[in-house]
Amino acid sequence: MTGGFDPSANLITKATLFGFLFVLLAGMGWWFLASRTDYANSVGWVLDQPVPFSHEHHVSGLGLDCRFCHTSVEVSATAGMPATETCMTCHSQIWTSAKLLEPVRVSFLQHQPIVWNRVNALPDYVYFNHSIHIAKGVGCESCHGEVGKMALTQKAQTFEMQFCVSCHRDPGPNLRPREAIFDTDWHRTAATPSPAALMAQYHLGTRSLTDCSICHR
Amino acid sequence: MRPGKPIWRSLDEHEGDAAFMARVAEEFPGLARVLAEGPDRRQVLKLMGAGLALGLGGCDPGDPKGQIIPGIKAPPGIVPGVENEYATASVLDGYATGIRVRHQDGRPMQVVGNPDHPASLGAADPIAQARILSLYDPDRSHGATKRNQPAGWDAFLAAFEQRRAGIAARKGEGLNILTGTVTSPTLGAQLARLQQLYPQMRWHQWQAINRDVVRQGAMLAYGRPVEAVYHLDRADVILAIDSDLLSAAPGHLRHARDFAGRRNPVAGSMSRLYAVESTPDLTGILADHRIVAGPREIHEILTALAAAILRHGALEPNTPAWIAPAIADLEAHAGGALIHIGPDQPAEYHALVHALNEALGGRGKTFDLIEPVEANPIDQAASLRTLIADMAGGRVQDLLILGENPAFTAPAAFAEALKQVPFSVSLGLEPDETAELATWHLPEAHPLEAWSDARAHDGTVTILQPQVLPLFGGHSAHEILALLAGDGAPDGYKIVRETWSKLDDAAWHRSLASGVIAGTAGKPSDGRLLQIGGPTLPAPTDRPITLLLRPDPYLWDGRFANSAWLQELPRPLTKLVWDNPLLIAPALATQLGVGNGDLVKLSAGGKVLTVPVWVQPGQAPDCVTAYRGFGRRQIGAVGKNAGFDFLPLGDGPLSIEKASGVYALATTEHHNPLDAAPEGVVRHGTAVAFAANPKFLQSPDPQASLYPPQPTGDTAWGMSIDLNACIGCNACVTACQAENNVPVVGKDEVLREREMHWLRIDRYYEGPAEAPRVLLQPMLCMHCEEAPCEVVCPVGATMHDAEGLNVMVYNRCVGTRFCSNNCPYKVRRFNYFAFARDEVRSIQSRNQEVSVRARGVMEKCSFCLQRIAAARIDADKEDRAIRDGEVVTACQAACPTQAISFGNIRDRASAVAKRKASPLAYALLDEINTKPRVTYEGRIRNANPAIAEDSV
Repeated sequence: MTGGFDPSANLITKATLFGFLFVLLAGMGWWFLASRTDYANSVGWVLDQPVPFSHEHHVSGLGLDCRFCHTSVEVSATAGMPATETCMTCHSQIWTSAKLLEPVRVSFLQHQPIVWNRVNALPDYVYFNHSIHIAKGVGCESCHGEVGKMALTQKAQTFEMQFCVSCHRDPGPNLRPREAIFDTDWHRTAATPSPAALMAQYHLGTRSLTDCSICHR
Repeated sequence: MRPGKPIWRSLDEHEGDAAFMARVAEEFPGLARVLAEGPDRRQVLKLMGAGLALGLGGCDPGDPKGQIIPGIKAPPGIVPGVENEYATASVLDGYATGIRVRHQDGRPMQVVGNPDHPASLGAADPIAQARILSLYDPDRSHGATKRNQPAGWDAFLAAFEQRRAGIAARKGEGLNILTGTVTSPTLGAQLARLQQLYPQMRWHQWQAINRDVVRQGAMLAYGRPVEAVYHLDRADVILAIDSDLLSAAPGHLRHARDFAGRRNPVAGSMSRLYAVESTPDLTGILADHRIVAGPREIHEILTALAAAILRHGALEPNTPAWIAPAIADLEAHAGGALIHIGPDQPAEYHALVHALNEALGGRGKTFDLIEPVEANPIDQAASLRTLIADMAGGRVQDLLILGENPAFTAPAAFAEALKQVPFSVSLGLEPDETAELATWHLPEAHPLEAWSDARAHDGTVTILQPQVLPLFGGHSAHEILALLAGDGAPDGYKIVRETWSKLDDAAWHRSLASGVIAGTAGKPSDGRLLQIGGPTLPAPTDRPITLLLRPDPYLWDGRFANSAWLQELPRPLTKLVWDNPLLIAPALATQLGVGNGDLVKLSAGGKVLTVPVWVQPGQAPDCVTAYRGFGRRQIGAVGKNAGFDFLPLGDGPLSIEKASGVYALATTEHHNPLDAAPEGVVRHGTAVAFAANPKFLQSPDPQASLYPPQPTGDTAWGMSIDLNACIGCNACVTACQAENNVPVVGKDEVLREREMHWLRIDRYYEGPAEAPRVLLQPMLCMHCEEAPCEVVCPVGATMHDAEGLNVMVYNRCVGTRFCSNNCPYKVRRFNYFAFARDEVRSIQSRNQEVSVRARGVMEKCSFCLQRIAAARIDADKEDRAIRDGEVVTACQAACPTQAISFGNIRDRASAVAKRKASPLAYALLDEINTKPRVTYEGRIRNANPAIAEDSV
């Protein structure tokens, strides 16, 4: 006696089961991987700014040091954003009628701050301190990428915890000699001290940098 | 330790109430009750799964959002991310205590102590610390109002200028100014100038918690209102009678520090304190002998003292047995003895105490007399009576009330009479009861927003400098008085600078930076006693029940009723929050047949109040205590419906009877009990036992442990708390709340044992309920080396770092609460609701260095990890080790007696290592091998051997 099922039921059942399995695995894959893509983390994406400030022109072109604008990076947890006055130190004398710079002039004259959109951000529960990283030999480019080559500012790294922890586990390869920290053209050569030598120079390696309390309070 | 008398935390426990004990034993109290009430599934999930749900959904997507808004010009002196501190003072009832205010990114966010100020030496009491909250209080007055309608400053100026013309024409006839006690040289000078400008003007001074009797006592004794400055570090024997020496007297922070310096037998010779109290207060907590005394007994004691010390006569035959040995003790330590009496005893008693202190040779040693700190000491009660009579009689045309709220704090006659005044101006921080009745109400500039000056208890002047421009357009009393003098555009800075024009610019800036003007401490007075034998003492009014109306330790006279921190701060002895029941003695409770929370009817002078009672162990049987400051009628959202106003009862004979009904009282006294015998928890003993064997409080040698030893490193953070120094003032609790963004939860949640204070002070009673001894123990996360909480967290949110801290990582926590279940000390606090989000508090008042916790997250003391991190970063940048004393936790900094010591225990020379090496040092619950990093020094009582053991 044949059963009440059509022969195609075999195919449909197998297809449905494999289909469910496929959807489940795909869903898990999506859930896990999507948040780790550059798109989800805005890496390489340019954000709209009130003024299309070009680091490439000011840093590579004119040769300004990072600290000219980001003044508190060696003393404070935050690197600091330049006040409008900093821009006006030059732009009160050059490009004084440029339409691109209109928001800067308006800000200065009307006492309204320029509202920049934040490109590099960490969650509120991460307490990052710039000054100690500078003091211990981490260059600006190690985390912020080749800012001197960015016509418009983008985020260079995902800033997932993995990114920070991988360096905290082994800082040596990411360190620079002290004079090269703000150098946008520096790369490791044969003359550069070895990672181990740099670690010793900066007195790193005695304390565990992977304790939760280093970054989270 | 020999088994001593029973130690207990609450009367229900003492009486062995079975239902109470079962409830206390619950890990999550209230949950079973809620479940038993027939919960719906949603509620159960809410209660049990909130944290879990948040945990699953809350992965950070890493998407940078938000904006950066730099300024137009970089503000001078402010580096973003680097903190500043500016000195000023906290002024209460005229007397100043120096403080510093911490600023982050240019905004004030915390009040800390000023180590350079003689009145505090770096400590800060809860009232001073809570000023930062009142600065940002959204319930403050936002603008000038006329008859309770918004009117605006310009309208006021116009109206006031008209009145001023009339005042000038009448030479000040009908002009009355009411202030509190004034020590400000600037305000005093302004008022003196106004008196010359308007000769018929009258300046009244009155404040609710006034010290008239202290002034009058000095007048009776010395003929001048001299003030006494106490040196408790030089006092070997102290007799404190109903005293506020350590709790609220001007200079109490300094007194506490000096006193505590003589309380640890390891440090040197111990002093001895006899405290005579009608109602338990801070001074009695550390007393070696505490005597419960009502008005009759106090009269008896003073009579005996006068007889023995002044007249060298014999004592009456019925004098209590402890008095003769105490007198002998005082006389044996002549030159190092001090008697102090509190501001609620009659002026004649004060005069007698002056005579006694002189006879005991304390002048120049345990106390000094200085010329009055006040600008104009007068009899304030008489001043108020005159003002009320003038107002009722229509003789007051213009009335300025500067910074006081007499419609609530004065007898009702004032509010009635105020309605007769044609033009009255109330200058106050909030729209209060007086503002409601006055013609005009002006927002006062907060003490942290205005220029002023004030003197401390020893006369030292501090310039108050504004920490921020007035947030709500307020003006200071100086500016209003300048307006009255005809200055159309008053500037507080100019007015204060002019008073101190004798300081050149360099000296002025030095004074602002240090918070004191050098050389302004009061000079010792040459006053002589008028009557060596002291005055005759008036007999005490014979009453079956005496009502003691005392200022609440934190709300004071009601001016701080809208401060959430102060409302939720557990009172030192009752541990009550958000309410002020009537405190009655156990004997009276039995007589009336009432227990905690039962309602009683209080009748006095025709007024009837129905209030709850609290049975207070150690209360004098014929006295009942009511704290002022509650029951405010015009108050912001926080203080609404908090407590009862006892002032209408007045002074007459009081009768009490049981009424029907109960009232829920929130107290933390039974919260978070330790599952251990209290004798081993709060270890204490006598000086005699200590002398015989200094290590008598320490446990026998520790057992062998299966745990591997903790890895050693350069730095190991540890803390030592000296129980001989803790007076229970709660400065540490408030400092921790301010530093760590600890939320306030409200009365209902405290009833469910969900208060969020990271640091609590457990209060134990020892002995009989009628006259127990009080033992205190600050409890915070012990940062156990073998922490039971770390091994049970399913998501690894709490771990041990290399420096010994038990770290709490809020972003990993999913809220299973297994860690608090496993904590034997019960120091972990859980955010059952979004307490921090729902607090009405401006974000600017928070500490940006500490995370604000969301719902469903566990939190606990972190040893001020943010301060450790800041010190470590500074030290690393300078390539050096962290110095001892560089990291000071918030609780350690605020403590008036320096009871808390914190630092690196690997450093043998550090202060904390020395304290941990004390023979009195012990760890809490050491038998369970958690190896806590917080240890205590046990409390030693220096009893007088001539007084029978356990009699007082």
